[in-house]
Amino acid sequence: MFAYYFKLGLRSLRRNPVLTALMVLTLAVGVATSMSTLTVLRAMSGDPIPSKSDRLFVVQVDNQPAETPEGEPPTAHLSWIDARELLEAGDGLRRTAMYAVGGVAEPEGEAGNLLVNGLAVGADFFPMFDVPFRHGGPWSAEADARGGTEVVLSAAFAERLFGDEDPTGRRLRIFEREFVVTGVLAPWQPMPKFYWLIGGNNRFGETEDVFIPLQTAIANESNPNGNVNCSGDGPEPGYTGLLNSECVFMQYWVELADAGERTAYRERLGAYVEGQKALGRLPVGERSRLLDVREWMVEQDVLGDDTILQTLLALGFLLVCVVNTIGLLLAKFTAHAGEIGVRRALGATRTQVFQQYLVQAGVVGAAGGLVGLGLTFGGLWLLARQSEEVAAVAHMNPVMLMATLAVAVVAAILAGLLPTWRACKVVPAIQLKTQ
Amino acid sequence: MEIRPILSALLRSKTGALLIAAQVALTLAILGNAVYIVQDRLAISARPTGVDEENVFFIRLYGFREGIDVPAMLDADLASIRAMPGVRAVATANMAPLTQSGWNLSVQPNENNPDGESTNTAFYFSSEDLVDAMGLELVEGRYFTPDEVQVIEPSLANIDPRHTVLSMALAKQLFPDAQSYVGKAVFLGDSRMEVVGVVERLQSPWAQLGDAAERSMIVPIRQLDPVAQYVVRTEPGQLDRVMREVEDHLVAARDDRVLLRNTSIQEARANRYRADRSLAWMLVAVMGLLVLVTASGIVGMASLWVNQRRKQIGVRRAIGARRRDILRYFLVENFMVTSFGIAVGLGLALALNQLLVDALEVPRLPLAILPAGVVALWALGLLAALGPAWRAARIPPAEATRSV
Repeated sequence: MFAYYFKLGLRSLRRNPVLTALMVLTLAVGVATSMSTLTVLRAMSGDPIPSKSDRLFVVQVDNQPAETPEGEPPTAHLSWIDARELLEAGDGLRRTAMYAVGGVAEPEGEAGNLLVNGLAVGADFFPMFDVPFRHGGPWSAEADARGGTEVVLSAAFAERLFGDEDPTGRRLRIFEREFVVTGVLAPWQPMPKFYWLIGGNNRFGETEDVFIPLQTAIANESNPNGNVNCSGDGPEPGYTGLLNSECVFMQYWVELADAGERTAYRERLGAYVEGQKALGRLPVGERSRLLDVREWMVEQDVLGDDTILQTLLALGFLLVCVVNTIGLLLAKFTAHAGEIGVRRALGATRTQVFQQYLVQAGVVGAAGGLVGLGLTFGGLWLLARQSEEVAAVAHMNPVMLMATLAVAVVAAILAGLLPTWRACKVVPAIQLKTQ
Repeated sequence: MEIRPILSALLRSKTGALLIAAQVALTLAILGNAVYIVQDRLAISARPTGVDEENVFFIRLYGFREGIDVPAMLDADLASIRAMPGVRAVATANMAPLTQSGWNLSVQPNENNPDGESTNTAFYFSSEDLVDAMGLELVEGRYFTPDEVQVIEPSLANIDPRHTVLSMALAKQLFPDAQSYVGKAVFLGDSRMEVVGVVERLQSPWAQLGDAAERSMIVPIRQLDPVAQYVVRTEPGQLDRVMREVEDHLVAARDDRVLLRNTSIQEARANRYRADRSLAWMLVAVMGLLVLVTASGIVGMASLWVNQRRKQIGVRRAIGARRRDILRYFLVENFMVTSFGIAVGLGLALALNQLLVDALEVPRLPLAILPAGVVALWALGLLAALGPAWRAARIPPAEATRSV
């Protein structure tokens, strides 16, 4: 029976072409605006590392001065003093401190000097964040400790410098030093770049070009290529002054064996803070905290207010379109009253009429969904112009593609309920009399 | 007026009328909020920086070799840029408005204030005349003299400025009761700075929302970083050419540095407000579609009513109603439905705004904007109903006799 009703529905699309076109278009634009904004919203609020987002934690050691008002969140970064102490304590399954470095690469050959974005990390960084390698691998823990000259390149950067060949073991001059390539990443772009969210204006953009051992960056006195926040009296001059100061510029991540260990780690962090307090540091250190990946993304406003705002307004627009479709379906079905009368007189039950017209509404929805799908691509293209961040995430994917069609059909069926209800209330006798 | 019969006719077939009213209500709620957000964003993105924006650009190069003679590099660059045709002024600068990165410090209006009544300010420094190079307007006092410039080697010493020029907004924030600001002292940690001048306006590099964007200060410092950064002001109409020539020259001048950025203030503005402007245009597009959809809904429903009542119209015409009586009937009917929708919509608009204000950083809707929305929707309703009402008025009296 469904197939027959479906065929009738398709045929009735042609019956009132203007009315039908209006309905299909109304649904299409409503669905397209909602789905394109929802696609962006969904991509921006996605979990970048689902397998372990509940056991990777940012550690925020609050070293703000005593007069910091109650309720002020800890600084997003921490100082090298605290990062070094936490690394030495060696707590948790894996751990790394990191900070962004920048400079120039001087490759051999024709390529010429080029600017390089780097991240100084520990060897644990790669297994912690499930970083995939194409060639080679991370440097050793021993290289970590001695501040070795190993470097890991991103896929794009390696290709730019060395083309398709495996550069493992090759020498590369960056940041005014000789490095040896120990590994090349496979294409890797977590959305967002959750491990380093602060500084840099594209949190959905490419990963850093190079990764070097943290101790190496510190030994080379590589200045932070990003935010440095200093409270209190500020640092002594120079790089050593920065390292020994309460200026914050590092991120500290820890991976725990399972999410249940969080409380235990939090307690050990509390003990560390107490120890530092005894030394006269961390006046508000008790505000230090752990945030897992999702909490960290919320804290850092990865999902901007504007994205939510435009999605809300687009959904409001979809609601108007649905209300409009109710009216148009009402008009269409009212015009069918005569036909419904004949069907009822020939023995169709109310339920059958109800089913038939609901399927008809669904067919309108499906048509709206197909047109809407095309418009959704257009909508995404327009949204992508908002910023590089949105451009990086404004792509259609199979889930949203199916969702677009589903939303259109569901919206049309919801809109069709009232008109269909009215249609099956048609009294056959009156209709037959007026024919 | 025949309001009572229209009303009783409406009450007999409520569904369609309620649908239209609901649509009008939702439209008003969304439109009111969206219009205000668009206005707000466009206003924010049009805020002036105080800089002669049409003629100023900012160029940064990074000298990556160790041991560069920074003062010699800066002086050579400045001299050569100054000599180029079309250049009106040039100065080193640690940052520029709208470029979204730079220095931010907190200063205090008096000494020994450990509890920190401090004010955050954008912290510009230059060893040349930044007021001239940016085209700022000096409204009080003077700019720095060359002997006031401090040279700082960052690995050996921290900045310790003695003189400053404030933006008017920062001056007012620090000294709310003062009439004039020259001669006052501002403290940065232990450094005491004497205010020597005030500029009308100098926006911060981040152009934050609200007053924070307007608070900035300039100090006479040359910091010996290997990053060479220059603000260049050109003769009118020569910006593009000079920008290109300066870049070519500076890149070719030495082989130990790379270009970090070369941007005109106008480009920086477009970049800074790109998201705001495209959100605004996205909302304008949704508003346009919304108006179209609502109008088509009203046209559709009004046509349906007219078609359903062809016979009654014929009868009314046959017993003496004039065409304009029929026209008026449908317009008044539509007006009543729209007005009901508008009344509900006003409440909805405020409720939606409350929701947005609570959940997101959206400004509160000023009530003054709503009357415009009400008038617009009345007009929209009448315009949309005009066509069907006109067709109703053309129905001949003979229609009454067509079918029984």
